[in-house]
Amino acid sequence: MNEGIEFNHVRRSYSGKVAVDDLSLTVPPGEIFALLGANGAGKTTTIKMLTGLLRPDSGTIRLCGHDLAVELRQALRCLGYVPDEPFLYDKLSGREFLEFAAQMRGLDRRAVEACIAQETRHFELADYLDDLIETYSHGMKQRLIFASALLHRPPVVIIDEPMVGLDPRSMRTVKDLLREQSAAGTLVFMSTHILAVAEEIADCIGILDRGRLQFLGSIAELRKESASPQSSLESLFLQLTGVENGTPPPEFSQGESAR
Amino acid sequence: MVFWRLRWRIGRTRLKQILTQSRFRASLVVVLSLLLWCGLLLMFLNGFWFLRAAIPYPETHDEMMHGIFGMFFAALMMMLMFSAGIILYGSLFHSPETAYLLTIPARTERIFLHQFQDAVLLSSWGFIILGSPVILAYGLVVDAPWYYYLMMIPFVFSFVYIPAAIGAVICMLIIYIMPGKRRLIVCTAGGLLLAGSYWLVWSLLKGPESNLLTPGWFQEMLGRLQFTERRLLPSWWLSSGVLEAGRNSWSESLMFLALMFSNALFFRQLALFTAVRIYRKAYSSLSGKAAKTRRGQTALIDRMLLTATRFFPLPMRLLMVKDLRLFRRDPMQWSQFLIFFGLVALYFFNVRRFNYDLYYIGWVNMVSFLNLSVVGLLMSTFTTRFVYPMLSLEGQRFWLLGLLPVSRETILWSKFIFAAGTAILPCSLLILLSDLMLDISLFVMLSHQVTCLILCSGLAGIAVGLGARLPNFRETSPSRIAAGFGGTLCLVISTLYILVVVLLTALPTHFLIAAGHIYVGQSVFDCEGNVLHWLHLWMFVGTLGSIVLGIIATFLPLVMGIRSFKRMEF
Repeated sequence: MNEGIEFNHVRRSYSGKVAVDDLSLTVPPGEIFALLGANGAGKTTTIKMLTGLLRPDSGTIRLCGHDLAVELRQALRCLGYVPDEPFLYDKLSGREFLEFAAQMRGLDRRAVEACIAQETRHFELADYLDDLIETYSHGMKQRLIFASALLHRPPVVIIDEPMVGLDPRSMRTVKDLLREQSAAGTLVFMSTHILAVAEEIADCIGILDRGRLQFLGSIAELRKESASPQSSLESLFLQLTGVENGTPPPEFSQGESAR
Repeated sequence: MVFWRLRWRIGRTRLKQILTQSRFRASLVVVLSLLLWCGLLLMFLNGFWFLRAAIPYPETHDEMMHGIFGMFFAALMMMLMFSAGIILYGSLFHSPETAYLLTIPARTERIFLHQFQDAVLLSSWGFIILGSPVILAYGLVVDAPWYYYLMMIPFVFSFVYIPAAIGAVICMLIIYIMPGKRRLIVCTAGGLLLAGSYWLVWSLLKGPESNLLTPGWFQEMLGRLQFTERRLLPSWWLSSGVLEAGRNSWSESLMFLALMFSNALFFRQLALFTAVRIYRKAYSSLSGKAAKTRRGQTALIDRMLLTATRFFPLPMRLLMVKDLRLFRRDPMQWSQFLIFFGLVALYFFNVRRFNYDLYYIGWVNMVSFLNLSVVGLLMSTFTTRFVYPMLSLEGQRFWLLGLLPVSRETILWSKFIFAAGTAILPCSLLILLSDLMLDISLFVMLSHQVTCLILCSGLAGIAVGLGARLPNFRETSPSRIAAGFGGTLCLVISTLYILVVVLLTALPTHFLIAAGHIYVGQSVFDCEGNVLHWLHLWMFVGTLGSIVLGIIATFLPLVMGIRSFKRMEF
């Protein structure tokens, strides 16, 4: 069962400070969705709620049809997650870490070996798979965490800042892979500061500003609704978040948020 | 199974690395632990033999042993509960590993159990080091049957599980119910624990001195230990089980083991049940707490430091304030030292209760010098744990300091002044307390304060100098940096330095005072005045030697460190 991601009037605050306010959003399977926003806009809080680390103060979140407040474990089975600051066991080798991640998701021994072999090829990890993770560079660790998130072929992949620490070749690999995954029906939900990445691969973007969803739709729709359709995504983003000229954000369409 | 495999693999890799990369450190730790363990075993063996000889009636002896075991295990139980709670607070709510595990489809109770078992292993080290020699010594003294030793393993494991599980439940409940007040609660609990320990030691040691170690004294002690005889306490079950096994009464002992085991399982289930119900909610609510807003103005303590150091250049003072802020805002670092200092102060407060002055004035001075060594050793662990890693930690953010118009020499000197200044205050106060309690002469008191100054200056010099000479820029954790080769070397050199400095002044002072005392009472040295003359000379040379050694220990490592630090590339 893959019904994508559904936020329904979700609100979350930190000691009275609202981080995410009345977020309603549906992302269907097979879509690459990019959540954009300035620092402190609420992107990480949204992603943490989606992975079950944080609970919303109100509203519901459904992942692959499972309500996270009720069926968290079933929901997490459908999930591959790449955090912005990944945790890895330094004293394990890359292979041992991948085995652990796969076994925790219930894969049998044969499936574990096959999946590791495939992801190792994808992310070019073969040469140092049996080295301890503590000897890896930042980019190598990032590739390893991508491999571990995709091992069990999850229907939903959540990525917090996907390109951090990757070299251009690895960035290309990740982008191609995300497109492949999307074509195969996987939902990719990512948050990013790099607007070019969103512009290049996202089917749909959401722009968060101070906890509220200011825009939801494709980049073409964003351009169409903007006063200056020829502008770059960067200018549109800055206009929308009120940074460009210091004025409050213009009234962009939010009708799409009910999708 | 997957978690056990994970733990096994990580443990195996760590062991391999220790055996291949840090043999010296590992051997040192093993040898020192073994020495400590053997020393404790000998001490307990002698203590138990003494009690057997001092209390001729078997029933009174057994009662006394029950009281002693009861109090010992009750104290360990409190310690285990507290330490397991603190360890679990860190591992369940603040570790990156848990944040990762919570996003994979593992059961909440499995994640909890994984961290709980680690906490049990970590917090029971003290029990193994302290408890095993007690149990073994008792078995040897009472000539216990073979199964006594065998039964102790399940006894200890089931005992450890109970306070650890209670600590885990309390930890989760505090975070769940009052996530905003967790620090206040932990500090209050710590304060109460210290106050309780103080009251306990005080109430046990008070009493008329004439009764010391007489049958009446033992009876009085038994009365005071009554509070450990509450039959609902796991410590009572453990002490009963141990004593029954020692008496060759295996069926009674087995009953206590079954009682402990079933309770251990019950508390484990209770902790699991609590974890399933509230752990994720507690995690989420703790993550929902906004960071504490700090006042914009400079804190009073920072202003005091700036005023006290106004003779130094401004960059040096600012670096010191920065170090003080980093230090005090990391309670995990200094809280353990606060507990140690508290315990040492507790001991010093009670030192007069032992009534040494009854026997021989020389003992009082010997004890005062031993106290000086204890404070010095405590201070050496402080400088190794906090001061030695300071420069290694700077290495990671050296781009910041490196771009400032401050010379590298200034950075090192600021660290030295900060370290020496921070060490002198508690060290000097503790020694003053010890001296006042022992009621020693003003001359020895002054000599102790001078020694204290020499010790702190030398220890700070060794730690800062070696920190610059043997830095470790790969590690980010200060405890790991301190546990490396450089840290171990720093601790060994510091220990040797303390012993030499204390001996240089302690020996001549001891003999001089002993000679003076005998002279007053018996006129032995009346015709041999030249002995006193030689003792005075020894005293002078010893004091001079300790001052020279203090200067060398301060400046030599610092100069070496500055040279090395200037050449260093980042």
